Amino acid sequence: MIEEKTESAKVIEEAKQKQVEAASTTPTMHIKVYSPFKVYFDEIGESISAINATGPFDILPRHHNFMTLLSPCEIIIRSFKREEKIRISGGLMHVKADRVTVFLDI
Amino acid sequence: MSRLQEVAAQRVAMDTIVNLTSVFEGIASMRISQTKNQVQQSQQFFSELWNIYSQLRVDKLFHYGRTESEKVIDKQLFIVITSEGGFSGDIDQKLIKTMLADFNAEKQDIIVIGHHGAIQLIQAGVSFKKYFTLPSKDRNINVLPLIKEARSYKDTVVYYQTYVSLMVQDVKKIDLFNAVQEEAKGVAGKEEEIISERNYIFEPSTFEVVAHLERSMMQIALSQVILESKLAQYASRFRAMSMAKDRANQLHDSLSMLYNRTKRRTQDERLKEMINGLRKTRVA
Repeated sequence: MIEEKTESAKVIEEAKQKQVEAASTTPTMHIKVYSPFKVYFDEIGESISAINATGPFDILPRHHNFMTLLSPCEIIIRSFKREEKIRISGGLMHVKADRVTVFLDI
Repeated sequence: MSRLQEVAAQRVAMDTIVNLTSVFEGIASMRISQTKNQVQQSQQFFSELWNIYSQLRVDKLFHYGRTESEKVIDKQLFIVITSEGGFSGDIDQKLIKTMLADFNAEKQDIIVIGHHGAIQLIQAGVSFKKYFTLPSKDRNINVLPLIKEARSYKDTVVYYQTYVSLMVQDVKKIDLFNAVQEEAKGVAGKEEEIISERNYIFEPSTFEVVAHLERSMMQIALSQVILESKLAQYASRFRAMSMAKDRANQLHDSLSMLYNRTKRRTQDERLKEMINGLRKTRVA
């Protein structure tokens, strides 16, 4: 019984290790989407997509410094095989040094 | 006997007042904790946004989101933020008094927020340009009509209440432009690189992004001031209710004592009557 437990613990540890390795090789950025009274997303992510006056666009890690007014749309955030969608009526996106901040309700 | 019933009825009424003030005190306390949390959250959002804005422009260029063609009234605008109704202690009186000490009808116009303040101004015989009700909700306060008014004046001063502690609330006045600066004090010291077209991509254009940001900063600053006023009003209401509860408790205690004394007196009188009656029958 004890051996079984240590075996399963090893498997879990290996899986975690693999996840950490994968995360360290995939370029990421910190994404924060919030309004004055609510934080919608505040985690590490791989990409963020939204729409502005010129059309749809994606932000990936190592993106150039960028500031834009967002049009009403659905923001899509991808982070480690997970996809988060946030419907917005407008806002401001600021990208700098792998940090993306989306200010809503302004 | 009728006196005893009277005192008993008064005691029951006082009991109801004690319960009512306790409920009001509880509601005010709950609203304080909710609003306090929102004020803190909103401040963090404002600070981060200001940090970006301050890298885009210097304070001197802040122009209230006006365009060059917009005409400006050569007067100062006073915006006074009071509560909607009673049960808010004496803080509104204090606020109106402070504002009226600076007021000159030829140089300033008044916009009042809150029914309580409007009534006090009417009672003082002071006319105001516009009246708005204090927003009942604490989130997403629509300050656009106020911003529109503020933009048409050369200068705007906001009189509002601030929360110092649960038992202490203060009255403050602030220039709307300075409200932005005041809020930004905590982040203004950081030396960050300047955001310009050289190192940033702006969409749709630099001017549009900055103009939008400028208007937003004004709106958030005004919303913050309204929210802070509401917090102070809740605290003032709590203080008033707390004092009313203490007073009602004191009255309840003295009524209880009076009730017991009256009851005892009535019993003594009955006993006396009985003894006298017994004596009389023995003598007879």
